[in-house]
Amino acid sequence: MSADIRAHVLDAALRAPRATQGRAPDVFREGGWVPMREHPNDEAVDFVIVGTGAGGGTLACRLAELGFSVIALDAGPFFRPLEDFASDETEQTKLYWLDHRIVDGANPITMGGKNSGKAVGGSTVHFAMVSLRFRPEWFRSRSALGYGADWPLDWHDMWRYYTRAEQALSISGPLTYPWGPKRPRYPYRPHELNAAALVLAQGAEAQGYRWTATPLATVSAPRGRSPPCVYRGFCRFGCATNAKQSALTVWIPRALKAGAEIRDLAMVGRIETDGRGLVTGVHYQRSGGWHFQAARNVVVAGYAIETPRLLLASTTQRFPQGLANSSGLVGKNLMTQSNQAVFGRMRREVRWYKGPPSLSISEHWNYEDRKDFFGGYCWMAQGPLPIEWVTVQTGARGLWGEPLRREMQYYNHQVGLKMVGEMLPDERNRVTLSDEKDQYGLPVARITYSWGENDKRLIEHALQQMQESLECAGVSHLFRQEDDTNHLAGTARMGFDAATSVVNSDCRSWDIPNLWVCDGSVFPTTGGVNPSLTIQAIALRTADRIKQLASRGELV
Amino acid sequence: MSKNLSWEALAGLAVLGAVGVAALAAPRRRAARAAPTGAQTVVVARRLNRAAGTLAACVLTDSAVEHYRGSFHNKSMYAPLASATLNLASSLHGTADPRAAAHYGRNTISAIAVVTGLIGTAFHLYNIGKRTGGFSWQNLFYAAPIGAPAALGLSGVLGAAAERVRNTPPGAAPRILGAPAGRMLAAISSIGLFGSMGEAALLHLRGAYHNPFMWAPVGLPPIAATLLAATVVAPTPRLRAVTKASLNLTALLGFLGMGFHSYGVSRGMGGWSNWGQNLLNGPPIPAPPAFTALALAGLTALELQAAHHER
Amino acid sequence: MSAEVRFPGYDVLAKHDGKSWNEATRRTLDARMSVPRQPRFFDPAQWQTLCALCDRIIPQPQGKEPVPLAAMLDARLLSGRTDGFRRATLPQQDEAWRRGLAALDTEARARHGAAFHELKTEDQEQLLHKVQGGEVSREVWGDMSSQEFFCHRVLLDIAAAYYAHPTAWNEIGFGGPASPRGYVRMDFDRRDPWEAAEAHQGEEEQARRDNQRVR
Repeated sequence: MSADIRAHVLDAALRAPRATQGRAPDVFREGGWVPMREHPNDEAVDFVIVGTGAGGGTLACRLAELGFSVIALDAGPFFRPLEDFASDETEQTKLYWLDHRIVDGANPITMGGKNSGKAVGGSTVHFAMVSLRFRPEWFRSRSALGYGADWPLDWHDMWRYYTRAEQALSISGPLTYPWGPKRPRYPYRPHELNAAALVLAQGAEAQGYRWTATPLATVSAPRGRSPPCVYRGFCRFGCATNAKQSALTVWIPRALKAGAEIRDLAMVGRIETDGRGLVTGVHYQRSGGWHFQAARNVVVAGYAIETPRLLLASTTQRFPQGLANSSGLVGKNLMTQSNQAVFGRMRREVRWYKGPPSLSISEHWNYEDRKDFFGGYCWMAQGPLPIEWVTVQTGARGLWGEPLRREMQYYNHQVGLKMVGEMLPDERNRVTLSDEKDQYGLPVARITYSWGENDKRLIEHALQQMQESLECAGVSHLFRQEDDTNHLAGTARMGFDAATSVVNSDCRSWDIPNLWVCDGSVFPTTGGVNPSLTIQAIALRTADRIKQLASRGELV
Repeated sequence: MSKNLSWEALAGLAVLGAVGVAALAAPRRRAARAAPTGAQTVVVARRLNRAAGTLAACVLTDSAVEHYRGSFHNKSMYAPLASATLNLASSLHGTADPRAAAHYGRNTISAIAVVTGLIGTAFHLYNIGKRTGGFSWQNLFYAAPIGAPAALGLSGVLGAAAERVRNTPPGAAPRILGAPAGRMLAAISSIGLFGSMGEAALLHLRGAYHNPFMWAPVGLPPIAATLLAATVVAPTPRLRAVTKASLNLTALLGFLGMGFHSYGVSRGMGGWSNWGQNLLNGPPIPAPPAFTALALAGLTALELQAAHHER
Repeated sequence: MSAEVRFPGYDVLAKHDGKSWNEATRRTLDARMSVPRQPRFFDPAQWQTLCALCDRIIPQPQGKEPVPLAAMLDARLLSGRTDGFRRATLPQQDEAWRRGLAALDTEARARHGAAFHELKTEDQEQLLHKVQGGEVSREVWGDMSSQEFFCHRVLLDIAAAYYAHPTAWNEIGFGGPASPRGYVRMDFDRRDPWEAAEAHQGEEEQARRDNQRVR
């Protein structure tokens, strides 16, 4: 066995489950533990939640705080960032979902760090912390803007839950946000801007667009046991500082305190249903064996690939197309977000590896409708680390040999702008089950994706705008990265009726009243901003709705 | 550039500053009481020297740390260090000097501090203004602080005031720029306290007032400063008594602030062992005693008022 | 300016025991730098081809210890750690690499009458450009696209191995691992004393002195 692998296997969190025997890791202390309530497999708990990320982690916390018995399972390990996270791009791929998947279509999606997570806390453990609200009109994009589908949620309602999510995550953001309806002040102040972020500002000012410090889920001052951000720049590879306000450091500790049980390294392979057509629990693999956990309700929160994969794999005679799939929409309308970029070089030293990568943002084109395509996009400053950066050079420009090494020499002078753009829902973009099996013996997901004409127009517009912005800021040697995507959504969309959606506004399945979906899969459209805050706001709302339904006796 | 200033030198400055603060701020009641009545103005002047020196020590250590953080990229960033060091030395000299006559060297050094403070303020304003975003919250939070050079200027003003008071002919009431010294000093100290409060308010806003004690320097000093300003208009003994109490509390607060800021530094990642980062990015430990210095000046003003304009 | 003098004297390993590296980082990097130099995943023929290929993708300077790219890739493939997905147009990474290296060698023999690693540098480069452009023999590559193999395996994997190594970080002036200590100075043209100093024209010695103080 190689030394490189040995280092990997040494990782205690990956070797065996940590959350056992009445205790779970204390994420704020090396080797620390906190007490954890446990339930036997045959005890039908109120809620079993599959996944502990932005959706599942948030929901587990709130449901437990509202008095329900909760078990949240995650296929990934339970890390303690202080002892488990190396400052290393390669090593930290252990945070990604690297189980086998097949990608195809005209524009196959690159899976991994930018759209998955396999750890307690899900992808929030390595997300870029960008915490933005949707533009209100996006919740009615069909009726107000003419594309996509309307959400069964009212933006006023969402605005309240956004505020609660921002408070809970101590978002560090500007004193006033330049776009959209008024929002309360962010709990923490914006971070200092690095040089890369200032380039965005200079470009935007020259173009006459507004810009601002990006609201980020990493604290700019101490908060509880989180020290302030030290600007180490490895945010997307796990925050070893614990300044990041992830599900792992915010929702999970609260959930444990409120009595939720977390099961790490527990891969759910199948949801069980009974003769009445209700779910009864989940089959999961942990410590090498398969187990069955009974539950009165099951919430699937595995994100836009794993959620439909589990629903599709849980077929029965009664549900031959998979669970919650009478509409046939489970796995369909997969959306990613366009993540193209323009990069260039400056005479001055920029050293973009310092600080969170996306410290400044312009949402101009999310709020400006005079354009010849549907949807919006924002762009943010960039700070790729060396491997990410060389991947851009080889991928976007096909460089190798001396030209590659020469180009890499300019690393400390490089700047860039990267978009997060809205792609439109399309039923042909989808998740299906292939014939191949993964290490658990479960069918592997096949992810099919092709950009539509509108997507391409939006991307071209954004590339031109970003290029102009960098030119205005005096950046030279510009080139485009034209094929990147990030984030996922849409494979179990919420809607107004059972025929055209998978879940209702409460994230409750139309077909099976004790089956719920709570993650980015429920998005009918994906908007032009990073989705994590919206997922968390929806989870907060769902918890409140479940409590209301329970008090009215409307749960199963 | 940082190359020229080693950590050892920086640590040395910090120690020097701390010693200065300690030496200047330590109560010298006994000495004051023992002084002959004819030398009352000298005693007061020496107290003012002490206040000026405390402020200079704050400025010295704070600007050393902050300008080191700024890599001394502009040579003029050494100026406040030099000026504050001179002012600290001159204040120590004045504190120890029993003579009842102004000192040419101390006068000059005070003038230099005032000028340096003014230029520094202009520099900092220019610096904020030219940054992308101009006078935005972002730049007010993270660009050069406006109030810091003003503190150097104030320490010069206090030093100069000490010389004016010291120069008072026997039997006469001390005056500064033609005004009664007690009232004048009260006004100066009051303005200084308001300024420091403004700086603390801004930077504590940047810290999101995450600790409730961060409200203290925003709550107490303005009360003291307002009362002090009131004594300029109506210097009654009763008002002075209340003012004195609030100034004593403010002086204490400055010292406690150093403790709180040290705690803040320890909360940074890696705590004190990562001091190379946390001393620079954490709350500035030398900043709070500026309140102590200005409170000391205010207390001296009250004494002058009591001694020369009794009602 | 050549690669080696842009950050003269800068060695990110000087921070190995300092405030910028935590235990998990030391464990990871120590293991990476001591990776066995012999093949365990590839057979000897594939290994020779791979070594020659690595030299073309990332030509390394003479006179200092090269980054063991082939060994790093061999170790990774042996570990079974993948990208987590494969394009439907490519086989699994193990198979893609084995087939791709064999195909490269076969192409070399067909065009130049010698194994890939025996070719002159220019011939190797020329052949790789053809592989990158898809101008290859269908019989040799079968249903595997040489372009996709080159773009999504060769470039991705070899470049990622190189820029995972401290030697590469020294070359480009990357700060390297950073925890518990991060960075303080964020503005243009500012460096923390523990960052690489770039040698500006006429100030090479100053940069070298600064870099020797990096801890």
